[in-house]
Amino acid sequence: MKYLPFILRNLGRNPLRSLLTASAIALAIALVCILRTMPAGMDAFLSAIASNTRISTHNEAGMVYAMPYSYLQKVRAVPGVVAAISWQWFGGAIDPAKGVEFPNFAVDPEDFGKVYEDWKIAPQALEDFRKYRDAAIVGRATLEKHDWKVGDTVTLQSTVFPLQLSFRIVGEVPNERASQFYFQREYLIQAFAAAGAPIDSTGMIWSRIDDPERVAPAMKQIDEMFRNGEAETTSETEKSFFGNFFGSLKGIVTIILIVAGIVTLCIVFIAANTASMSVRERVGEIAILKAIGFRKKTIFTTLLAEAVVLSTVAGAAGALISLGLTSLLRSSASGGGGPQLGPLTGFIVTDAILVQAIFISFFIGILSGWLPALGASRRSVAQTLREVF
Amino acid sequence: MIDIVNVSRVYHRGADEIHALESVNLHVSKGRFVALMGPSGSGKSTLLNVLAGLDRPNSGEVIVGGRRLNDLSEDQLAEFRAHTVGFVFQFFNLIPVLSAVENVELPLLLTKLSRAERRQRAETALRVVGLTERASHLPRQLSGGEQQRVAIARAIVTDADLVVADEPTGDLDARNAEEILSLLQTLKRDFGKTVVIVTHDPRAEKWVDEVIHLDKGLLLETRPGGASGEMAASR
Repeated sequence: MKYLPFILRNLGRNPLRSLLTASAIALAIALVCILRTMPAGMDAFLSAIASNTRISTHNEAGMVYAMPYSYLQKVRAVPGVVAAISWQWFGGAIDPAKGVEFPNFAVDPEDFGKVYEDWKIAPQALEDFRKYRDAAIVGRATLEKHDWKVGDTVTLQSTVFPLQLSFRIVGEVPNERASQFYFQREYLIQAFAAAGAPIDSTGMIWSRIDDPERVAPAMKQIDEMFRNGEAETTSETEKSFFGNFFGSLKGIVTIILIVAGIVTLCIVFIAANTASMSVRERVGEIAILKAIGFRKKTIFTTLLAEAVVLSTVAGAAGALISLGLTSLLRSSASGGGGPQLGPLTGFIVTDAILVQAIFISFFIGILSGWLPALGASRRSVAQTLREVF
Repeated sequence: MIDIVNVSRVYHRGADEIHALESVNLHVSKGRFVALMGPSGSGKSTLLNVLAGLDRPNSGEVIVGGRRLNDLSEDQLAEFRAHTVGFVFQFFNLIPVLSAVENVELPLLLTKLSRAERRQRAETALRVVGLTERASHLPRQLSGGEQQRVAIARAIVTDADLVVADEPTGDLDARNAEEILSLLQTLKRDFGKTVVIVTHDPRAEKWVDEVIHLDKGLLLETRPGGASGEMAASR
């Protein structure tokens, strides 16, 4: 610690250079921190939207393939299944030219509230959803985005089927991130019948299991039940389902993290160059320090400490910048910008990320300062004095 | 204090061999003020580096304060220099970002003294060289003579027995050069230091006890300086 003032004075020797190097490190660390929030943000996002006691069952060949609607009753009979509903993708769009802006499904209204009891949908909304054939329950994000409210009527044109349906909004999924739009399966069935094309299939079945311990046996039993059936099935937990759904996004996150690693490496080289320049300018002074009795180890440590202090302080500043930016995003979201910001608002710089950032900065300092410090400490004092003076 | 026995030092510059010192023998008693003189390339700075533990001879023995420097490791030599030798260089060589008192305090960082003790000793050393009022000034705010006095304060702050100076007046005007030489003599006279300087400056002769003349790596002659009893008696 007694060398700290000496180290700090040396850092202040060329303030502009130190500031520019620190800025480069700070921005790189801020970038790394923000990118590091993405996997955790994705996980938090999945945890927020998914439950481990809710399972999906879909055609083993893929989610786009249908299953017989009769499967629903069989799933409901499996031990541990509290409730089950079917899901049928409608692909409805407000303006077909713009495409589907939010996911919309036809579901069975009777058990809807039981399967999604953790969503805390208002009882009145669930009752109205069961009561009115054209009722719809809509996620809050979609309500806010389109400035809709309960009682409004909206019309969706399917991009999959030749159908156009009007819906009466009777309630919301009270979650800032929820964008889904649910309506009665019976309404869709009748529309198909009226169009002369009755259907008796479903895209997916969602079930809620009474005990997490019984989830695995239930999934196994369901899939066994339909083995060699009209359509073989695959069951998985909701978290696993969404995890797979967002799998490609996670791949992008991995690529981004690799890029962040390369950025960090670039910063190591920049910082190392700065440290080398700083040491080169002080060859004479370092020789004097050695002459008056500073050991190699002391010279090495103080020079390395300069790089480490600069890098760590800059890294801490970068971490705080990322904290500020993500907080700003969240406050913007709560101020009405949420739907535009999307999942970005879920990316939180945690204490763990801050600690990681400090460690990364520390190691940037070690890596960038090591060789210049080693070179300076090993240089012969007599030779340096002859060369410099 | 210093015994140099049959010391040789050879440098290699490319394919060339430079014999900086050839079989040099020298004895400097404790409390003497000695000047090493000679033309450029005569080996005087090399001899100073060798006796101060900055450089190692290729052959011969170097004994300073009873310690045989040939036997010491790099770290032991650093410790030797920290405790036994005070250095003054031609171009002052103060750390530009540290104030005068902080520069003087620098060698004390290698000791176990407390911060307050270090500061107290540094201020005392500055008082010895007459720079108490300039303690908080940065080197660039000091004149050349003042900077060299700070360097001398740094050299004596550890109470080293031996003070070595390489061209201490080389970058100073006549008045400042005289002041520095006078100060070095004071170190010898009042504090019992052994002082060895390398100089081209003929004015130095009157301040020192002995003048040692070197040329082409050979010690040619040792004669009394102006401060020796012999010269004083003959004046």
